[in-house]
Amino acid sequence: MTGPPQLSNDLDALLRRVARGDNDAFAAFYDHTKSRVYGLVIRVLRDSGYSEETTQEVYLEVWRTASDYDSAKGSALAWLLTMAHRRAIDRVRSEQAGSRRESRYGAANVDMASDVVSDSAIAGDERRRVAECLKGLTDAQRQCIELAYYGGMTYAEVSQRLAANLSTIKSRMRDALRGLRNCLDVP
Amino acid sequence: MTEPTDFELLELAAPYALHAVSDEERADIDRRLAAAPSAVAAAFGNEVRAVRETMAVVASATTAEPSVQLRAAILAAVKPATRRQSSWRTKAFASAAAVTIGLAGFGLGVMARPHATPTVAEQVMSAPDMKSVSRPLGSGQATVMFSRDRNAGVLVMNNVPPPSPGTVYQMWLIGANGPRSAGTMGPAAVQPTTMATLNNLDTCRMLAFTVEPGTGSAQPTTPILAELPLK
Repeated sequence: MTGPPQLSNDLDALLRRVARGDNDAFAAFYDHTKSRVYGLVIRVLRDSGYSEETTQEVYLEVWRTASDYDSAKGSALAWLLTMAHRRAIDRVRSEQAGSRRESRYGAANVDMASDVVSDSAIAGDERRRVAECLKGLTDAQRQCIELAYYGGMTYAEVSQRLAANLSTIKSRMRDALRGLRNCLDVP
Repeated sequence: MTEPTDFELLELAAPYALHAVSDEERADIDRRLAAAPSAVAAAFGNEVRAVRETMAVVASATTAEPSVQLRAAILAAVKPATRRQSSWRTKAFASAAAVTIGLAGFGLGVMARPHATPTVAEQVMSAPDMKSVSRPLGSGQATVMFSRDRNAGVLVMNNVPPPSPGTVYQMWLIGANGPRSAGTMGPAAVQPTTMATLNNLDTCRMLAFTVEPGTGSAQPTTPILAELPLK
């Protein structure tokens, strides 16, 4: 379940229309999803200029590849946010070098739950539920997700950074994700 | 090195789904998946899918609003060329036409009027390697969307004030051999929304703007106003 079922169905229907070149459907799809996409991208990039450029690339990729989306393989929102996250991570890795990269990792290491931005378009209930589930992780688990998912580090880099061995980091990531998945009731 | 086991492969599903592997490792994982027993590949796929669905829900905790200008830019970029022109777009074409006149011999093409074959702009927009870069220019903004595969870019200027009378904005594509002119825009050419295409990016790494006297210069003679890295 990603968001209210209604949204999920709506997005599927909109994407089918976008695949046929429907500009109005594309505008509606953008309006329904922009705050999640931009919010995720800026959470990774921490710069509004880079984030707008990346968000633009994401939506133009949606326009170009909407016909590739297959609802049997996952939700439209997961498809979109996977694309957005991949582009944000690629951008971080290509922009960052040496000491700047290190300082970005520092910036990424903040409490996710306290970084919530309000958005009237998304039910407060769901936001609260996510915040609660994030709090339910151990500090070590949350740190792994923060450094990797928001900081753009590979699991090998996370392992070096935390001076923990690779299999420990992989287990922490897996356990964190399973914990979140169960807590959020994702099938 | 020992042959990695299926279990080790499955352990990589979470970092893989979080994009927390290097490009080399991702390619290696993809190769191993292709060779793995189908049950292992299916289990890996299920794990990746569950992580992505989970993180899609988690994204409701990190929402933020982009600017309204971004919406306009994105929707304008996919507008079909055959659609009825709105007034700003007509203006943009009018200004683009003005650019053409000023640019004979400069190698700066212009957004063509609708016709059957895709315009350079459409080709750039539809290129899989299309990238976009924006920088402030005066009190407005300049955005270049470009594709190395197409060897071309599309410049969109929003709310950039026209240059003073008697001067022009000159665009420079900067590569290993220094700047080469990519065209000029006089006061009449610069509208609230102005578009132009940039051909033959070749190995240039930067688009820069200067103000030049008269109808432009052979080399930049004033400080650079804005630089858009094309990387």
